[in-house]
Amino acid sequence: MKPILHAKNISKTYGKKGTAAYTAVRDLSFSMNEGEFIGIMGPSGSGKTTLLNMVATLDPVTEGDITIDGVSVSAMTEDQLSDFRAERLGFIFQDFNLLESMTVFENIALPLSLRNAEVEEIQDRVLQVSGIIGIGELLENYPAELSGGQKQRAAIARALIHEPALLLADEPTGALDSRNAETLLDTLAELNAVRNVSILMVTHDPRSASYCSRVLFIKDGKLDRELVPSGTREAFHQEILTVLGDLDRRSGAGGRA
Amino acid sequence: MILKLALTGMRKKRRDYLILFTGLIISVAVFYMFLTMSLNKDFIARNSVINHIQPVFLVGTVLLSVTTFFYLFYTNSFLLSLRKKEFGLYGLIGVKKQQIGRVFRLETLVITIGALVIGLALGVLLSRVVSWLLMSGLDVGFAEFKVIYVPAVMWTAVYFLIASFITSSVHSARLAKTPIIELLRSDVQSERVVKKPTLTALQTMLGVLFLGIGYLSLYFMEQLRFIGLFTAPVTTTAGTYLLFAALLPVIVRKWKRNKKANLRGINAFTSGQLNFRLSSLKWVLATIAMLIALSAGAIAGGFAFKNDAFLSIDRSWQYDAALYNPGSAEIALLATIPLQEQNSFHVKQDDTYLYYVREELNAAPPLVTDWETYRVVRPEPLPENMKIEDDYQIIPDNWVAALETINPALAGTKSFRIVPLEQYERITGEEVSILLARTADFSAYLQKWQALEELQNDVYSTMMPGFDPKTDAVTSKYSQFKSQYALASGTFFMGFFLGLAFLTMMASILMFKILSGAANDIRRYDSLRKLGVRRKLLENSISREILIVFLFPGVLGLMHVLVGMRLFSFILQEPYYRLWVSILIFLAIYGGYYFFTVHLYRKIVLSHQ
Repeated sequence: MKPILHAKNISKTYGKKGTAAYTAVRDLSFSMNEGEFIGIMGPSGSGKTTLLNMVATLDPVTEGDITIDGVSVSAMTEDQLSDFRAERLGFIFQDFNLLESMTVFENIALPLSLRNAEVEEIQDRVLQVSGIIGIGELLENYPAELSGGQKQRAAIARALIHEPALLLADEPTGALDSRNAETLLDTLAELNAVRNVSILMVTHDPRSASYCSRVLFIKDGKLDRELVPSGTREAFHQEILTVLGDLDRRSGAGGRA
Repeated sequence: MILKLALTGMRKKRRDYLILFTGLIISVAVFYMFLTMSLNKDFIARNSVINHIQPVFLVGTVLLSVTTFFYLFYTNSFLLSLRKKEFGLYGLIGVKKQQIGRVFRLETLVITIGALVIGLALGVLLSRVVSWLLMSGLDVGFAEFKVIYVPAVMWTAVYFLIASFITSSVHSARLAKTPIIELLRSDVQSERVVKKPTLTALQTMLGVLFLGIGYLSLYFMEQLRFIGLFTAPVTTTAGTYLLFAALLPVIVRKWKRNKKANLRGINAFTSGQLNFRLSSLKWVLATIAMLIALSAGAIAGGFAFKNDAFLSIDRSWQYDAALYNPGSAEIALLATIPLQEQNSFHVKQDDTYLYYVREELNAAPPLVTDWETYRVVRPEPLPENMKIEDDYQIIPDNWVAALETINPALAGTKSFRIVPLEQYERITGEEVSILLARTADFSAYLQKWQALEELQNDVYSTMMPGFDPKTDAVTSKYSQFKSQYALASGTFFMGFFLGLAFLTMMASILMFKILSGAANDIRRYDSLRKLGVRRKLLENSISREILIVFLFPGVLGLMHVLVGMRLFSFILQEPYYRLWVSILIFLAIYGGYYFFTVHLYRKIVLSHQ
C-alpha cells in the first residue's frame, strides 16, 4: 500500500506562546494509505477542522510535519503551497464554495485552467467528470440556479477533475437534506471504491462516517481512538454511535483536564 | 449601551472608515470651492465671458449637488455594507431595528460633521492654492475672489447635513426592512442573478444611431447651429446610455465565448466578475461617461478660451505696436525686440480731418485682413483720383482698414483725407509720426508691449488734451488684448475649477460604487485561495477587472470630448487648442483613482490572507 498522507507529531497553537495561548491540536500523528476513505469525528472544539485545515495546507502547523504524496508541506512558501493545493488536493466544503459569477462548467474547469491545460483537454475532462457525477445537463447554468445537492455535486466534480492525490471534505453533507446527503455519500463511496480516490472527510454526522473505511476520533486535540468497519454499514453506524456516546460521557464526567 | 457597541464596531473597521472619511472631506472641499465661486456674483460678473448667463452657474451648482448626493449615497451604502453583519448581531441580541437605525444615522451625522469641519478648512486652503496658482500663472489678479466666503460655508454645511440625513434615513429604512437572518448571512449571500439579454440588438442599433447623430451634429455644428445645439446633447446622451445598457454585457459575453482565453488561469473568474459588475453598474458607468465628457470638456474649453485671446487679437491686429511720436526711450526699447517689419507714417490733423500722404502709403502699404477673403494682404496702390462724395473720400475697403491699422488711436475720431505729398506739405496743422512694428509672436513680448504702452501715456496726454492714463484707455493691440485676456482667464479659471470638481467627484463615485460591492467578494477570493490560486494571480485579476470597469466610461467620455469640442467652433477659432493638457489632467486624476481603488479593493478582499 502506498502511503498518501503522513502527519507526524503535529501541533497547532493559536495566540502567542505563553500568553493565553490555545492549543487546538497537540502532538497528533496518523497515516493514510492510497485508496482509503477516512472520516474524522469528534465533539465541537476537538480540533478536527483545525486538523483538516493543516492537511489542506491552509493553516501552517506549529510543530511537527505533514507529508502528502511523498512531499513535505511544512517548509513550503505561500506560492508553493498554492500550487500544491491546485495540483494535488481537491476540496469539498460544507457551503460548496462555488463561484457564483461563473457557470458550472467554468467552476469545474477551474483547476485545469489554473494549470493552463489545453481547451480540448478541459472540455473532455469536464464532460467526463460531470457525467460520472451526474450533472452533465447543468454545465451552462450558474450556481444560483442549482439546488443544494446539485451544487455539492458540482463542487465534487471540481474537486476531482484534476485527479488530485487526496480529496478533502469538510462536512460535505452539512448543508444537504438527508436524501441528497445519502446520494452524495454514495457517490463518494463509489469514487473511493471504483476509482480508488483517497478521501479525508471531517464530519459530525455518524451516518456520513459510516461510509468510511476508517474513522479517527479526535478529542481535546488528540487522537482518541480509531474504528474500522467489521460488518455491514448499519453495524458500523451503531459502533460509531457507541464510541461517540462514550466520548460524550467521559467529557460529561469531567474527563477534560 | 448600543452606542458603546457601535463605537467598538466602528473602531474595528477603522481603516474602512478612514477611506470613507477622506472621501467625504474631499467632496466637502470641492463642493465648497465651487460654491465660493458660483455664489460670488461680483467675481463672476467681472471675470467671465459668460457673466450674462448666470444660469450656467445655477446648472453647475445643481449638477454638482446631484453628483455629490449620489456620491454620499454610495459612500453611505458602502458604510452599511461594512456593518451589516454587526447590525444583524445587534438584532439577534434583541436590539430594536429603530434603535439600530438611530445609531446608524447618528454615526453618519457625526462623520458628516467631522468631515465638514476638516473639509471646509481644506476647501479654504485649496481655494487659496488654486487661485494663487492661477493668478500667478495667468498674470491676472482676481481681487474679487474671496477664499473665505461665508454664504458658501453656510450652504455647504446645510447641503451636506441635509443630504447625509436623507441618505442615512434611506439606508436605515432599508436596514429595517431586511430580516435579521439576511443581515447575519450578508457575507454568504449571492445577490447576483444573471439576466438574459433582451432586445440587445435593437438597443445597440439605436445606441449607435443616436450616438452617430449626436457626433454628426457636433461635427457640423457650424452649419446646423441651433438645431445642432439641441440634437447633439440629447442624442449623444441617449446613445451613451443605450450603448452601455446593451453593448457592455454583449462584449463581455463575447470574451467569455473565446474558450481558449476564457479557460486560461482564472480568466473565467475575472470575466465572470466583470459580467456581473458591468450589468449592475451600467447606468452608473453611462452617467460617469457623460460627466467625464462634461468635466474634461470644461477644462479643455477653458484652455481654448484662454488661447483664443491670443488668436483673436492676432487676427484683428496685424501690427503689435503703433507708437505715436516715439521718443528715444521707445526706440531703445523697440530695439530689444526682434522685429519682422517696421514702418513710419505721418499724419497731420486739423479740426475736421486727418491727412495722410499718398506717396508714403503707396511706398509701404501695411498688412490688413481682407474681409471678403479673410486673407492677410497688402492693399493695392491707391488710385490717382479719389472722389469725394458727401464729404467722404472714396477709397478701396482694404485701405480703410489700412488707415485704422496705421492710426488706431485717432482713426475713429475724424474723417480722413489721403493727399499727394505736395498738398500735404502745405497743410497747416499738428503733425504726428506713427511707427508700426510687427513681430513674429506678439505673446512672447507682452512685458515689452506693456512698457511701451506706459511710455506712450505721456504722448497721449500731450496729443489728446484731457487724457488721463488712470481712467482713459487708447485703443491699441496691447490694451485690447489685456481686457480680452482678463475675460478669457476668468472663463478659464471657472472651466478649470468646475471640471476639476466634477472629475474628482465622478471618480470618487465610481470608486465607492465598486468598493461597496467588495465586502460580498471576500468569500469568493477566499474560495479561490483555498483552491490553490496564487495571491499574485488574484491581485492581477482584481487589477484587470477594475481597469475594464474604469476603461469603458473613460474611453467613451474622452471620445465625447474629442468630438464635442467642435461645439465651441461657434465662438472659438481653435477649440482643440491644447486639448492634450486637459486629457492629461483627466488621465492623472482618473488614473490615480483607479490605482487607489485597486489598492483599497485588494485590502478589503485579500487582507486576511
